[in-house]
Amino acid sequence: MICYNCGATLTHNDFCTNCGADVARYKKIMSLANLCYNRGLEQAHVRDLSGAIESLRQCLKMNKNHVDARNLLGLVYFEIGEYVEALNEWVISKNLRPTKNVADDYIGMLQENPTKLDVYSQAVKKYNQALSYCYQGTLDLAIIQLKKVVSLNPKFVQARQLLALLYIQSEEWESARKELNKCQRTDVGNVLTLRYLAEVSEVLDIDDDVNDTKSKKFIPETVKYTLDNETIIQPMNRESKTLSTVVNIVIGIAIGVAVACLLILPARISAAKEGLDESLKKTNEQLDAKTAEITELSQDLDATKKQNEKLMADLDVYTGEGGAMTAMDSLLEAVELYTENPEAVTGVAEALDNIDADTLSKASENFNNVYNMLMGKIGADVGSEYYDSGIKEYQSEMYEDAIADLTKAYAYDNSNGDALFNLANAYRKSEDSIKAIETYEAVIENFPDTEMATRSQQYINELNGD
Amino acid sequence: MINFEEELKKFHPSLEIEEAEDAIYNQDLTDMADLLVSLVKEDKETKSDNQ
Repeated sequence: MICYNCGATLTHNDFCTNCGADVARYKKIMSLANLCYNRGLEQAHVRDLSGAIESLRQCLKMNKNHVDARNLLGLVYFEIGEYVEALNEWVISKNLRPTKNVADDYIGMLQENPTKLDVYSQAVKKYNQALSYCYQGTLDLAIIQLKKVVSLNPKFVQARQLLALLYIQSEEWESARKELNKCQRTDVGNVLTLRYLAEVSEVLDIDDDVNDTKSKKFIPETVKYTLDNETIIQPMNRESKTLSTVVNIVIGIAIGVAVACLLILPARISAAKEGLDESLKKTNEQLDAKTAEITELSQDLDATKKQNEKLMADLDVYTGEGGAMTAMDSLLEAVELYTENPEAVTGVAEALDNIDADTLSKASENFNNVYNMLMGKIGADVGSEYYDSGIKEYQSEMYEDAIADLTKAYAYDNSNGDALFNLANAYRKSEDSIKAIETYEAVIENFPDTEMATRSQQYINELNGD
Repeated sequence: MINFEEELKKFHPSLEIEEAEDAIYNQDLTDMADLLVSLVKEDKETKSDNQ
């Protein structure tokens, strides 16, 4: 508690130790405020909301800065559907204590839920409209409007009370009692509700008594009749009572079964469904995991296939036709044949023919040295052999064979200008003008100032159509 | 017996959200502590005037 004069914290003394102000009465007022707050809190706990509102208002009349009382008052207003009043209290509370205030949460709760706020707002508007209908005397419209209000905000006590009053006015006592009971569920101590309820109960009790009396009159328990001089009193409907008991038991069993079907079975079905859902979820998860694994494995397989293809291609470079290994084998074969019989130039040449120019360009220096050495040894002889056979084939007009042999003849012995010139002639004869011109040009380039060169130029001119 | 007209007078329009601001500003926040403080102040002033 702080001093009203200087704001210093008060002690047990009846005066302020800081400024000396008399705080005895002030302390009493604050104590009374706290007392009212405690009473309001207890009333709110037992849902005596009207009583709580009164107590909390008293508390705030004594101490306007009582933040807890203000927050609680807001909550109580909110509970009975007076949400604007509730907001008022919370906003003032927030102003009194800007930080660490639970009113923040309450205001935030409303602000975060604009749909709900709109519903409350509509309920209030419709209630006010219904009240104006009442003043205008159009009670039917008011009842319709109030029914909408309580469906929008079922805890709107004032709206329910007004609806109950309208039901009372139109003598719909049962409906009035229902509304008042609902009011009482929200606010047990509301004097207006209790008064209306007493009135309604009084009317309904009278009605019940009248009905009971009427029903009693119509159900005779005995039958009296006179036989001769004797009056016989016989209980009535004995058999029918037994029958009705049996029927009641059957109905009871039927109701029991129905309740079991309605309450227990849905729960069991729901539990079974949940179990199935759970297992389905697990299965789906496992399926997803397996699918991911399969995808990963297929990716690995693709990568492995690509790697294998690359390795096969690499291997083919070494072992395939024209590969390094094949070329090496051919060279070794040529060397072996030459070592065994240096005169068997044809066999050596065939072995060397297996080595193509591309392989030679990629081969090692030693490989090339051995190849060139062998070519040097046998080149002239082989070239001569190929030249002879090529000329024979040329003369026999077997130009394709002649081209093959003369090409080899010049390849083995590039000093043999005749082989190149005749090769060009073979191309010309076989009507391959392009190759023929290329070969004639090679003759002119490699063997200039010769008769072959002169004739080559003439043929080129002829072929070009000059 | 309930008199409808009389009972109807006990019901008042509920505050709408548009009226909230005015309701907050116009709320009389004077409490007993304020009254006490003003009384003490008046008492002091009276005493000083008499002196």
